[in-house]
Amino acid sequence: MSNVTYISGKEPHSREHRLIFRNIDRKGYDPGLKCYLKDGGYEQLKKAVTMEPKAITDEVKAAGLRGRGGAGFPTGLKWTFIPPTNTKPVYLICNADESEPGTFKDRYIMHQDPHQLLEGMAIACYAVGAKLAYIYVREEFPHAARILEEAIAEATKAGFLGKGICGSTFDLELYVHRGAGAYICGEETGLIESLEGKRPYPRIKPPFFPAVLGLYMSPTIVNNVESLCHVKHILAMGGAEYAKLGTPNNTGTRILCVSGDVQKPGYFEVQVGKVTLGEVIQDLCGGLKPGRKLQAVIPGGSSAKVLRADERFKLKRGDEMVEIGLEDIPMDFDSLAACGSMAGSGGVIIIDDSRKISWVLNNINSFYAHESCGQCTPCREGSLWMKKISDRIVAGKASPDDVATLESVANNIEGKTICAFGEACSWPTQSFIRKFREELVADTREELAGVPVNHETTLAAANLKN
Amino acid sequence: MVTLNPTTHAYLDGQLLAFQPGDTILKFVDRHKGRGFVPTLCDAPQLDPYGACRVCSVEVALKEDGPRRVVASCHTPLSAGMHVHTQTQKVQKLRRNIVELVLTDHPLDCLTCEVNGNCELQTVAAKVGIRKVRYPEGKNHLNRQKDLSHPYMTSDLSKCINCSRCVRACDEVQGQFVLSMHGRGFDARIIKGFDTSFEDSECVSCGACSQACPTSAISDIFQSKAIVATEKTRTICTYCGVGCNLDVATKNNEVLSIQAPLDAEVNFAHTCLKGRYAFRFYNHPDRLRKPLIRTNGHFEEVTWEQAYAHIVENLTRIRAEYGPDSIAGISSARCTNEENYLMQKFIRAVIGTNNIDCCARVCHSPTAFGMQQSFGTGAATNSVEDLQHTQCILVIGANPTEGHPVTGAKIKQRAMKGVPLIVIDPREIEIVKYAKHHLQLRPGTNVALLNMFAYFILEGGMVDRDFVGSRCENWSEFEAGLRSLDLDQIEEVTGVPREKVRAAATEYAESPASMSFHGLGVTEHSMGAKTVMLIANLAMMTGNIGRPGVGVNPLRGQNNVQGAADMGCQPHQGAGYMRVNDPAMQRLYQDFYGMPVSGEIGLKIPEMFEAARNGRLKALWLMGEDVVQTDPNSEAVKESMNALDFLVVQEIFMTETAKFANVILPAASFLEKSGTFTNAERRVQRVNAAVPPLEGTKPDGQIICEIMQHMGYPQADYTADGVLEEISRVVPFFKGATWEGLGDNGKQWPVKEGNVGTPIMHLDSFKRGLGKFHFFAWQESQEVLEHGLEFPYILTTGRLLEHYNCGTMTRRTGNADIVVEDVVVINPADAAKKGVTGGDWVRLFSARGEVRLRSRISEEVKPGVIYTTFHFPEHLVNNITSDVHDSDTLCPEYKVVAIDFERVGSGDEPAGLPIREKGRAHTLPV
Ligand SMILES: Cc1cc2nc3c(=O)[nH]c(=O)nc-3n(C[C@H](O)[C@H](O)[C@H](O)COP(=O)(O)O)c2cc1C
Ligand code: SF4
Ligand code: SF4
Ligand code: SF4
Ligand code: SF4
Ligand code: FES
Repeated sequence: MSNVTYISGKEPHSREHRLIFRNIDRKGYDPGLKCYLKDGGYEQLKKAVTMEPKAITDEVKAAGLRGRGGAGFPTGLKWTFIPPTNTKPVYLICNADESEPGTFKDRYIMHQDPHQLLEGMAIACYAVGAKLAYIYVREEFPHAARILEEAIAEATKAGFLGKGICGSTFDLELYVHRGAGAYICGEETGLIESLEGKRPYPRIKPPFFPAVLGLYMSPTIVNNVESLCHVKHILAMGGAEYAKLGTPNNTGTRILCVSGDVQKPGYFEVQVGKVTLGEVIQDLCGGLKPGRKLQAVIPGGSSAKVLRADERFKLKRGDEMVEIGLEDIPMDFDSLAACGSMAGSGGVIIIDDSRKISWVLNNINSFYAHESCGQCTPCREGSLWMKKISDRIVAGKASPDDVATLESVANNIEGKTICAFGEACSWPTQSFIRKFREELVADTREELAGVPVNHETTLAAANLKN
Repeated sequence: MVTLNPTTHAYLDGQLLAFQPGDTILKFVDRHKGRGFVPTLCDAPQLDPYGACRVCSVEVALKEDGPRRVVASCHTPLSAGMHVHTQTQKVQKLRRNIVELVLTDHPLDCLTCEVNGNCELQTVAAKVGIRKVRYPEGKNHLNRQKDLSHPYMTSDLSKCINCSRCVRACDEVQGQFVLSMHGRGFDARIIKGFDTSFEDSECVSCGACSQACPTSAISDIFQSKAIVATEKTRTICTYCGVGCNLDVATKNNEVLSIQAPLDAEVNFAHTCLKGRYAFRFYNHPDRLRKPLIRTNGHFEEVTWEQAYAHIVENLTRIRAEYGPDSIAGISSARCTNEENYLMQKFIRAVIGTNNIDCCARVCHSPTAFGMQQSFGTGAATNSVEDLQHTQCILVIGANPTEGHPVTGAKIKQRAMKGVPLIVIDPREIEIVKYAKHHLQLRPGTNVALLNMFAYFILEGGMVDRDFVGSRCENWSEFEAGLRSLDLDQIEEVTGVPREKVRAAATEYAESPASMSFHGLGVTEHSMGAKTVMLIANLAMMTGNIGRPGVGVNPLRGQNNVQGAADMGCQPHQGAGYMRVNDPAMQRLYQDFYGMPVSGEIGLKIPEMFEAARNGRLKALWLMGEDVVQTDPNSEAVKESMNALDFLVVQEIFMTETAKFANVILPAASFLEKSGTFTNAERRVQRVNAAVPPLEGTKPDGQIICEIMQHMGYPQADYTADGVLEEISRVVPFFKGATWEGLGDNGKQWPVKEGNVGTPIMHLDSFKRGLGKFHFFAWQESQEVLEHGLEFPYILTTGRLLEHYNCGTMTRRTGNADIVVEDVVVINPADAAKKGVTGGDWVRLFSARGEVRLRSRISEEVKPGVIYTTFHFPEHLVNNITSDVHDSDTLCPEYKVVAIDFERVGSGDEPAGLPIREKGRAHTLPV
């Protein structure tokens, strides 16, 4: 394992702990099977097929792995939701639709280390009893799809996929499915519909919980690319050993994708909860741009609630409640949730004082208005109205009342839709208004109160304050 | 005080109430508070829960003061002890906000909208209390173009609220997948096909989307959702044996539109375009409005009394001169049970002969006969509802999506849900797309194929020995027959590889519940009745009888084929299937009618025609039948009509047959009469007059009653309930049926005392005691043997969704704009041989005559097989059909005609008849 060298300028930061990204930017590493086999590739799969499937699930549970796709749901637990009495085929789907703004990790795995994903998937399939699995790749990643297809062909030829894997009785067919070019295809039930060849309208739950009524109305496990890669490492290390990485209930490593107003944005694989948000900015990313002050952070992809730079948070440390500032928030699931946001997909967006808050919110709202699938009335109409109103604020054509209207639209979406997009699109507005009400109101014009507006405005040019 | 039953009760706004297993919260609320108590927009009873509009949101808690959650009631299952709060401030505000958002993109011109007063959006907006829309006007979809391209379907998508109900109706109810949502979010909009108009889409005009749409965004030319109508009458469709219930909206005695009732067990908010839209024939200018008597070669209008007097005089004369057997009647499977009953009574009790038959002769007489031989009853063993329970569907010689559209759609839906479907048919019909097995046999080889099918069940050790041993007889003879089969020969004649048959047979035999449907592709053959018995064999040998989801189920062509036979419109059996030549039964009828009746079996329709030609039959009474156009070998039929001394025709239009009549009596259409129809699943349903008979016309039943009275028989005046009461006293399986008791959804016979219906027959034993196996070796049709060498192609006929038989009715409606001609379908290989390209005029000729039709080239038929429909009698397809009949029942063999063909010109040349352009007035060449 030693002696891994990286392309110069792309060396991992010293605070990183690379498990999943071990081979990313590695010197002389290519996505071929040969390279993967050189240091222990597919050894875990060979081991897995000699184990009881349930034993693998138990290891994943013991490891405390939580999904890296957004919701942070315990992976091992999810696998046990397949009804024990099931007689239908079981499917596994790798969610490689990576489209949450601010998130850019899965693509590197697929581009540079595809066999790691295949091995993780094969082990997961063995554990859940799936004989057919799909990788649902975002349409905008044509290379990833091609590379994965090549990798699947290679692995099949070498007996790591296909019939009688590694000399066992385990058969697995794996297919790459190219996505349909919409954010909603990443929502697991929308993804399933899309995979079935339909419009990716998310399904109502109940009754369509994927583990029970998923693809072709059969039990289906949907996991994120990164989540599935972890499975391989859990098997290698043992669940208990893996759980020692990170912090309790927030185990292992995860890849943070940092973007926005920092000196050195990029991806960093760290132990969960072992770095703080301040350290992410200062150490990993080399600090803010010269002369800038931090204004806000969106810590887990664009749908995560925004955190204000000068906010104070209450966190439990042991048995004690402590008050901390933004820079001291540990980057883990529970702490970020306790601070009123979420770890989400690992996309950390740093916003400094050069950005106008109304513009940032409008940028996010535009994305969601564009991506709402249109099925639910509150989301379809509401996401558009949120954009229309924030458009107006940015253009300086809004009245102060509009901020309240904006908030009420958001409140009527959250929790009132078929899929979690409803939350994803309303949380930004709700949190921006709660935390930056003054800034937003400052961009409105008192004299417009009560004046009927023709609302079609174009975005005002200036998005910078100064 | 109700106490909490942990499994069956929940709290609704604080009140403890019972729910049913599987209830969603909405169903629970609807049941106790009525639909609309909790507002809904995207939910519709006929569709699966969707959960998209969220207007139905309620708050729920697991404990009385536990934390509350907002959920969509339409798809959230209710759990025992749950507290449902439907009227909290929170949900009321939410509902208001949602509707407010919807209204920001909805034209606010309710007063001019066609559905004003019956719009779900309007109702919901009023209910949730929208006062003002807070959002300033912005980008919207208010100036979308209307789509008025189609003869029936319309759309005005500026009114669309994106609830997807239309899309779901098209997918879940009809299974046509015409509509979809295009684009995302605000850009989402309904499209037809690949974003075309209704006219250019694959829409089959079933109207399910229009009925499901909560606004006027999708509608139809009749504006069926408008509230202009003052009356609504529930009745039964007259176009096929499915027996769809219809809600007919009328005003000032005029039919405005038709919708499908939501509580109809047969068709739950569904119909095909015939039932829903093809009604405008009923007051068409062509309707006959005065009795006509032929004098000196032309018709003269007379009064009813004059017509009756003329008829009485002639019938009395003929009976006196030639005896009662020189008179015959042909009843109609289009007419009600009551009318059929009266017709046979008239012929039997008043005229005194058993020369009574009906058009079932030319379609399902082999079914009635064959199933009687096997089971003792000539009717479907199960219900269409059983499709929900079956695990394998076998369709033989039927094209349900065209011929029995609502049942066809259900079969399609089940197949799409994964129920294996086996289709035995010479054509690649629509349901073949959904089928797991298609045995594409050569027309005329059903018997051979089904024998092989049975053989593989036997050979595979899949026979249900218990069932066969305890409930059937004659097994060993049947088994010996199967063992003697020559599989090589069968493979050769049917053209179906044996392995395919084996696979299908295994599927059918191994499934825990297999259900078969058959149609005219089984019966209209020289071995039709025998084929029916072979289908019965399959069911018996696999124990697929007497349980849910199994059985032998004929798909009846006309709306009351079942009823016409039940009522005794057959020469050998009287009302209730008692044999007329059994002296005990003869006495029974005699006592019941109070008149002497004949003990001699009467003439079947083809025998009547023959008797007319050779002078033995002098007078014929036809009720609603156009035999010249619809019976095979038209020239011979015309000759028979000419030979008659006296012909009475009861009709609604001047038909080819009526032109031969001495007296024409103008009858009323189904919309103008009351009675009962019995559908293909033995369901006796009430037909209610929606409008009074057109001036000058009379319902058929009334006409028969009056003529009976004029002939001196003390028949009471016609009332639907009165005649039904009379029937219930003579037909054993109607014993418990009363007009009131039949209720909205009818009852399946046998109707026992107290109006108890029978959804599944032969539960513990067969009507005839033991079920009887029959073995028949296949024989080539006489038609092919005689003419096959000279005319090497086999023509088989069928029908289209859009038209009904010879089109007398449907061609006087907008359906005529959808399908304008019969075409002939030719396999590409055969077309190439004869130099025919698509659209060319082709001349088909048989030993009897010729027709010219335009061609369509398709692989839906195999080489050697030619297919056409017969809805446009001016094309005279029946000029070439054969004289061969089923040997047991004389049902004509429409499905096998030896022909040859040649190209006579390109499609542009007027080589044949002028083809009507779309959009012409719906007047027929007569
Ligand atoms: C609107 C929306 C978009 C999503 N997009 C993605 C995505 O691009 N990739 C992903 O892995 N999960 C995405 N998810 C989460 C998935 O629904 C699902 O929870 C996840 O794939 C489960 O994998 P995990 O348990 O391994 O995290 C999205 C969820 C929502 C509501
Ligand atoms: S919440 Fe939005 S994205 Fe999700 S199903 Fe509803 S409309 Fe589509
Ligand atoms: S009329 Fe029927 S087939 Fe046509 S679009 Fe509507 S539901 Fe579909
Ligand atoms: S056309 Fe009607 S049913 Fe279809 S989405 Fe629009 S409002 Fe709903
Ligand atoms: S399916 Fe048959 S009964 Fe139903 S509407 Fe169509 S023609 Fe009438
Ligand atoms: S009616 Fe329940 S969400 Fe629309």
